[in-house]
Amino acid sequence: MSQAIKSALAIFAVTVTAALPLAVAAQSYPNKPIRLIVAFPAGGSTDIVARLVAQRLGERLGQQVIVDNRGGAGGTIGTEIAARAAADGYTLTMGTTSTHVIAPAAYTTVKYDPVKDFEPITLVASTPYLLVLHPGVKANNLKEFIALVKSQPGKLNYASAGTGSTTHLAMEMLNRAASMDIVHVPFNGNGPAGTAALGGQVQALFGSMPAVLPHAQAARLRPIAVGTSKRSPALPNVPTVAESGFPGFEVSLWLGFFAPKGTPKVVLDRLQKELTDIANNAEMKAAFEKNGASGVTNTPAEMRMLMKEELDKYGKVIKAAGIQLK
Amino acid sequence: MEELFANLSLGFETAVSLQNLTYCFIGVFVGTLVGVLPGIGPLAAIAMLLPATFNLPPVGALIMLAGIYYGTQYGGSTTAILVNLPGESASVVTCMDGHAMAKNGRAGPALAIAAVGSFFAGTVGTILIAVFGPPLAEVALKFGAPEYFSLMTMGLIASAVLASGSMLKAIAMIFLGLIFGIVGTDVNSGMSRFTFGASGLADGLSFVVVAMGLFGFGEILSNLEKGEEASSRDLLNAKLTHLYPTWEDMKLSAGAILRGTAIGAFFGTLPGAGPTISAFSAYALEKKVAKNPEQFGKGAIQGVAGPESANNAAAQCAFIPTLTLGIPGSGTMALMLGALTIQGIAPGPQVMTQRPELFWGLIASMWIGNAMLVILNLPLVGLWVKLLRVPYRLLFPAILTFMAIGVYSVNNLDLDIYLTVFFGLMGYVFLKLKCEPAPLILAFVLGPLMEENLRRALLISRGDPLVFFTRPISATFLILTILLLIVMILPAVRKKREVAYQEPPAA
Repeated sequence: MSQAIKSALAIFAVTVTAALPLAVAAQSYPNKPIRLIVAFPAGGSTDIVARLVAQRLGERLGQQVIVDNRGGAGGTIGTEIAARAAADGYTLTMGTTSTHVIAPAAYTTVKYDPVKDFEPITLVASTPYLLVLHPGVKANNLKEFIALVKSQPGKLNYASAGTGSTTHLAMEMLNRAASMDIVHVPFNGNGPAGTAALGGQVQALFGSMPAVLPHAQAARLRPIAVGTSKRSPALPNVPTVAESGFPGFEVSLWLGFFAPKGTPKVVLDRLQKELTDIANNAEMKAAFEKNGASGVTNTPAEMRMLMKEELDKYGKVIKAAGIQLK
Repeated sequence: MEELFANLSLGFETAVSLQNLTYCFIGVFVGTLVGVLPGIGPLAAIAMLLPATFNLPPVGALIMLAGIYYGTQYGGSTTAILVNLPGESASVVTCMDGHAMAKNGRAGPALAIAAVGSFFAGTVGTILIAVFGPPLAEVALKFGAPEYFSLMTMGLIASAVLASGSMLKAIAMIFLGLIFGIVGTDVNSGMSRFTFGASGLADGLSFVVVAMGLFGFGEILSNLEKGEEASSRDLLNAKLTHLYPTWEDMKLSAGAILRGTAIGAFFGTLPGAGPTISAFSAYALEKKVAKNPEQFGKGAIQGVAGPESANNAAAQCAFIPTLTLGIPGSGTMALMLGALTIQGIAPGPQVMTQRPELFWGLIASMWIGNAMLVILNLPLVGLWVKLLRVPYRLLFPAILTFMAIGVYSVNNLDLDIYLTVFFGLMGYVFLKLKCEPAPLILAFVLGPLMEENLRRALLISRGDPLVFFTRPISATFLILTILLLIVMILPAVRKKREVAYQEPPAA
């Protein structure tokens, strides 16, 4: 670059600086490392997605993005910390269906408002829920399974990762949609729930894709339906619940980035642009798909819309199933 | 058999590369260093060090994490013996006789026997994984809620044996432990119990908080009371006769190591409280078969050798369900699976066939790691023992500082530090009242699992309690429990009374 162009640029920069202080904030952002709060322990599925994205985000912003695991109380502790953090763009959080929809809808003690306390930036990934059966269960598809449950109401059991978890609500939604009666047996997390289904302690599990996909692929669990509106590329032969007779049925876990309310718009725009590029990157999409997730992006307005719809949808299930967490 | 050798040679080929040996050494070394810091157990250490492995190749990352895992496990025993600080629930048992040995000036033999026992158990564990991994994993799947409940019941009854003093006090401590275990969110209903609105209590009291408080903090408080001179005398006056175990020690320990290893290998494959249950059961067994049961709690070397071997065998066998089925048996194993996922490997039964170099490389590295641990730690015994000569006015503040950092690092919650102080005061009161905290800790760890599985079993059986007796594995545990009760109540009561009469009360 020649000296002349450099000084021209410098003059231009000075002029712009004087004229548009906001643009400078955007240009100088970030000038120190960014903290990304993950409200779940290291090594969990949320943490894995966060770390995959954080590394690339750091490269693009020229500053390190440090993952800060603040697990506990179903993700509400870390999310509350993020809600209270300074709105300067240096604290972000990875929000999910659990932290931003289900916990606020089910817990009476959550101290943040998922819509009012945050600036949504974009989704980055979504993982479907997969309905799997123990191989000993005599049903090869969703229709047969529902018929089986209906033929002996209240006799079969399903596992969940905990009362009020997404895996619990997904099955309760199906229970209601199909007017069947299969009994909920809560476990302490996805691992033990999967073990119970593998060992035949329970007959069914509406599990998160990354947790149950390896067992489905090894034919130790029989996948019969995915909860998303579209089939999963990881299991193209498994139909969706919606196409098996329940149009509109949709349960998935989304993961997205949030900043505390009041974060400058220029900062949010920059992050939205970089994160969208990262999530749409082919290599990233492949990394997600390997684990049964898929890269998805949207706009802040769409994200607000999604949260409102889901708060309403899950709120109804929670009420109808009489789930109350304190 | 031939296939096994082919597999093992593939494993050693992978593990013995200079690069992987280095990763293994770094893991074991860092693990030991972090493990001797009070309050930092394997789970916290791996959570902290996990990101450091993200940029390594998959095999290297896993080998290093496994090294950190047994390093911290072993480091935890070191602090248990030297300063009465158990790094994780299984080391609580080591505290009892290990620290008593240190007080008698036999910290060296205690540390050395822990290292030797761990190495032997680790070797057996590695062989078991290599030969019987997949079939053993299937056993884990046979364990449902009724089996777990009966197993926990047996463990809890056995914990009464742990107490060397009054049986009544031990039972009171067990109940107290059960009550502390209730704190937190109830798995079945999702309701909070005894959390007083604090979100930091929603996941229950952390083990580290309770153990650090009752053991380490309580011990320090009671030492302060004695004044520096008197308390230093405790550890120093009893002259260090031997740095390493005598021939007599080895003879006493050999059987304990064998029995401990067998117990650990059995319980380790079961997802859940494997290492803890094994360590406690091994201790109870040693106390039963020993010719000198009255020495237990006062520095019996079998009380260190048995549980330490059991703990390490179990820690090794915990890899079986994790690697062959993709089922994490503990929080630490869940982290290991997370590490695999980050490396782009979907954990599950297919890992063994799709990535044989990874599976067998890890197994070979387990043995190498255990060997490195023993080579690293035997010379360090002298150094650790010298550490005890640091005057208490320097040692205690240092321990308290590290303890606070360790406790905080588990959940990044300051509430945990205050809670540790609370349990510390409680530990001091218990020492004054001669109530032993070990049964409390075991009940605290097993209680929630027992309740959870009792309610789950009854939920699945639709309220029919017969389910505990009609399932063979569960029935076996319950019969063993009853036998244990009979064996314990009849002669033990008589024997204990005699012992109590003959011996002056322990200090």
